Amino acid sequence: MTSGWPVIDPLHAWNIATAMVVAAGCGLVGSLLVVRRMSLLGDAISHAVLPGIVLAVIAGGRPGGGLVMLGAVAAAVLTAWLTAGLTAGAGVAEDAGTGVAFTTLFALGVVLVSAFASRVDLDASCVLYGELELAAFDTVSVAGWEVPRGFMIGGLVLVGVVVAMAVTWKEQVFAAFDPAAARAAGVPVAMLSLGLLAATAVTTVAGFGVAGAVLVVALLVVPAATAELLVDRLHRLAILAAVIGMLAAAIGYLAAWRLNTSAAGMIAVVLGGGYVLAVLVAPGDGLLARVCSASALRWRVAREDRLASMWREAEGTAGGGSAGPLAWLATRALTIEGAVERSAGRWRLTAAGRSRAETIVRSHRLWEAWLGRNVELPLDHLHPPAEWVEHHIGRGVRERLAAEVGEQAGDPHGRAIPPESARHRAGDG
Amino acid sequence: MILATLLTYNTIVVAAAVGAVGLAAGMVGALAVLRRRALAGDAAAHGTLAGVALAFLATGRRELPWLLLGGLATALVTLAALVFIRRWTRTRDDAATALVLGVSFGVGVALVTGITARGLPDSAGLEQFLLGHTAAVTATDAALLAACAVGAAALVVLGLKEATLVAFDDAFAAAAGWPVAVIDLALVGLVAVMVVVGLPAAGAVLVTALLVIPPVAARQWTERVPSLVTLSAVIGAGAALAGVVVSGLVPRLATGPVVVLACAAVCAVSVLAAPERGWLARRRRARWADAAWRESRILAALAAERPVAGDAADNALLRRLIATGLAEPATAGFRLTVAGRERAVEQARRRAAWEAILVVAPDDARAFLTMEVPDPATVIDPARHAEITRLSRTTP
Repeated sequence: MTSGWPVIDPLHAWNIATAMVVAAGCGLVGSLLVVRRMSLLGDAISHAVLPGIVLAVIAGGRPGGGLVMLGAVAAAVLTAWLTAGLTAGAGVAEDAGTGVAFTTLFALGVVLVSAFASRVDLDASCVLYGELELAAFDTVSVAGWEVPRGFMIGGLVLVGVVVAMAVTWKEQVFAAFDPAAARAAGVPVAMLSLGLLAATAVTTVAGFGVAGAVLVVALLVVPAATAELLVDRLHRLAILAAVIGMLAAAIGYLAAWRLNTSAAGMIAVVLGGGYVLAVLVAPGDGLLARVCSASALRWRVAREDRLASMWREAEGTAGGGSAGPLAWLATRALTIEGAVERSAGRWRLTAAGRSRAETIVRSHRLWEAWLGRNVELPLDHLHPPAEWVEHHIGRGVRERLAAEVGEQAGDPHGRAIPPESARHRAGDG
Repeated sequence: MILATLLTYNTIVVAAAVGAVGLAAGMVGALAVLRRRALAGDAAAHGTLAGVALAFLATGRRELPWLLLGGLATALVTLAALVFIRRWTRTRDDAATALVLGVSFGVGVALVTGITARGLPDSAGLEQFLLGHTAAVTATDAALLAACAVGAAALVVLGLKEATLVAFDDAFAAAAGWPVAVIDLALVGLVAVMVVVGLPAAGAVLVTALLVIPPVAARQWTERVPSLVTLSAVIGAGAALAGVVVSGLVPRLATGPVVVLACAAVCAVSVLAAPERGWLARRRRARWADAAWRESRILAALAAERPVAGDAADNALLRRLIATGLAEPATAGFRLTVAGRERAVEQARRRAAWEAILVVAPDDARAFLTMEVPDPATVIDPARHAEITRLSRTTP
């Protein structure tokens, strides 16, 4: 393999452009499939269009031509119809019904390919992997330009999908999030579903040459599932899914070229990598974000517990305090913050530390007092909930609690409730 | 000549083994379908390809036991990824299944293509795992497949009671102290094993069919789990054998598609013609219900000496009433015979009784709505029916 980037080579550039155009269309359609919980139908259709395509080619259709599109749409409708027939008519569970329908149609397609191998320009590996590497060799002439057929078809499908989605956008959103209400409001939900079915079939045909029957499902579902982790609005999801699909198509193609393997396979691998990345770093819901916020909470609780425990020690109501590495670290951090100081071989709270500790102990005892008054719990059951709540209630809640229980009475254990500190720390409101 | 092709020692051993695989897949699949785990197997199946390729890279030889072990490893990784996505992300079940399936298959395709492109010795046969090809299976491999299949079948028989309980009422099973998570894990593990030993017979893309289609077909014929499992096993074994025989006779034809089409044929016949749940039986029952309703309406009209203003179906029924001696031609139209009048009176009594129940205690009547009743849209005035439907939607 020589060094240098394949982009310089126009054949590679055309292949990449073809993959990107197809991936964009798949990403857009896939975003609707994912939010409408129809991903498995997308999977089923991408398998099941095979017999439709093969029959259309036997009947004289050109790959990617109108007849083949029609055959694919017919096969997709047949899949949905068979699934619905098995589910509603024969009482089969939906996933099993889908499984029966698409494996049968795909098997039929493979047998047709084998039987008419001499007349059909398809073989099993093309069906399964696609032939993206050869996309640039099959060209048509458009206004004097030699443009790959796959790029033309993918581009036309993309334009069609964009126009159809733009025209029906409001209805799509309604149907996606509340199909029952949409139906009651007169939105033709069944027609939208049928349209989505047809769009899936057509993008699948366009994707067939790029990714093969099985991997089209990755192009359809993975970009949308990834985008769903990152954004909350449907229009952003759709656009982001298209962008993710295009990026993965380009990166996957280049990776496959460097590693000398299947472009379709590598595009799926890159898509999977993107999804894993999104799972890790998605804002708010991502694993890293969750770990960070959980750790931040644990760290704050550890320091606050340390302060409260030292305050109680000084009060004479609790001894010792927590040991362990986290408590040790918390003490060190509190020293740096100026809440704790060391004098005469003992840790002591500074004035600032005392004020922070009083806020926590006050929250704790107010909550115990309120629980003791309003919830019939035995005395020894009051501490654990208060131990949690003390870290989470602010000044406003404390004031309401104090007004309700009367702070002069002390907590249910007979201990005084410290007064609200004048200089409680910022952000504790 | 054909017989000679069929009856070599190797072919017979392989056919027996693949038949055993089909049998066990039908049994495991029956439990998986009952537990709604039908498509988890599909994701695992697509995941096997990567393991097969990795095992080939690691051992450098195309020996079935190692390849299948590799397939099992990545199938389990695929299932674990599925569980992880469900537990830790907001991706929903359907998207998670499709995603894991697509990506794991992509990994497999990239590996297999990369290996083949480098022209490693023996690597050409790896593609046979995509669609299945039993011709390359040796008698030793077949013995291994059969052993796995028999083991899986034995596990299904041993755990049938527990699996049935969990499939039908997991909440009750958990409350009664059964380890639901362990039973589920065992079931998913069995599915993964069956998907892997089914690879030579059906290939990664279609092996799900061996798990899903036989139980769906068997379900049409029986209401009981033991007979469901048995029947599903028989269908699976038959379809697998058909796949071996046909793909052995027709060059270039992979085994998987034939197996699937054989399963699908049985399934189609079952869905159409099964005695209770089949489409034909349902249609016949619906027609009977329709006829009974028309008959009662005609009897009521004749009893009240009103004309029967009916369509062709009503007229046909009227002819039958005359033939059975319940009605007879009169000077103007038709009238009831004595027997017909008795039947009309009895039906009027029943109608009045139901009317009383519907007015006073409609909840008691609701239980009988599961009986075959005519479609209201064909019985009630269309405008009125639309109004009632609208009313029933607004009242919870």
